[in-house]
Amino acid sequence: MPRDERPERGERSERGGYRKYFAPKRKFCRFCQRDIRGIDYKAVEILKKYIPDRGRITPRRITGTCAFHQRKLALAIKRARLMALLPYVED
Amino acid sequence: MRQYETGFVLSPALSEEETSQFVQQMAEIIAQKKGRMVKQDVWGKRRLAFPIKRFQEGVYVFFTYEGGGDVSVELERRFKQTDAVIRFMTVLKDPRDLARRKKKRRAEEAAKAPEPAAAETAAAAEAKEEK
Repeated sequence: MPRDERPERGERSERGGYRKYFAPKRKFCRFCQRDIRGIDYKAVEILKKYIPDRGRITPRRITGTCAFHQRKLALAIKRARLMALLPYVED
Repeated sequence: MRQYETGFVLSPALSEEETSQFVQQMAEIIAQKKGRMVKQDVWGKRRLAFPIKRFQEGVYVFFTYEGGGDVSVELERRFKQTDAVIRFMTVLKDPRDLARRKKKRRAEEAAKAPEPAAAETAAAAEAKEEK
């Protein structure tokens, strides 16, 4: 069994901590999953998930949202902020 | 014709009567400018995410309408004149989005339509058999 004998991929084994044993959970775009094209700025409950505590827009590398939807999402959040549906800053 | 959506926030200091009266007035402007109201949405009083003009809450109203650009210009001119409006915004609805929605609805209707007809004939057939 050549596959079993092969050591773990170099980059992974070099990492310390728990990452050595667990592959990170695969992220995916939740808008693509539901086949949503446009994001409405009035859907506050959805947008809220992308602005944790401080009220900043969560980057793509953390949420796993695709580029297309991240653009729409950012625009929707900014529009919602103008209408005072979402905060600009929160402390 | 393009589809626009204008949202505005009214001051909470207005009485309910004044609010509904103002909303009606604005709706009439759309008709005057030969626009077609698609959807009128009044959310009612809602807490603002941050204070505007020292108000902590506001009455949210959204108009979706079809028409030329002059409709939104006229609406916004009115909003600027009155103190009752504390925030407003007009956005252009994505025409591709609308086309998609229409297509979807049509597809759903097409899927639904033959079913009742089939059910009726089946029911009729059953009735005949019983006789």
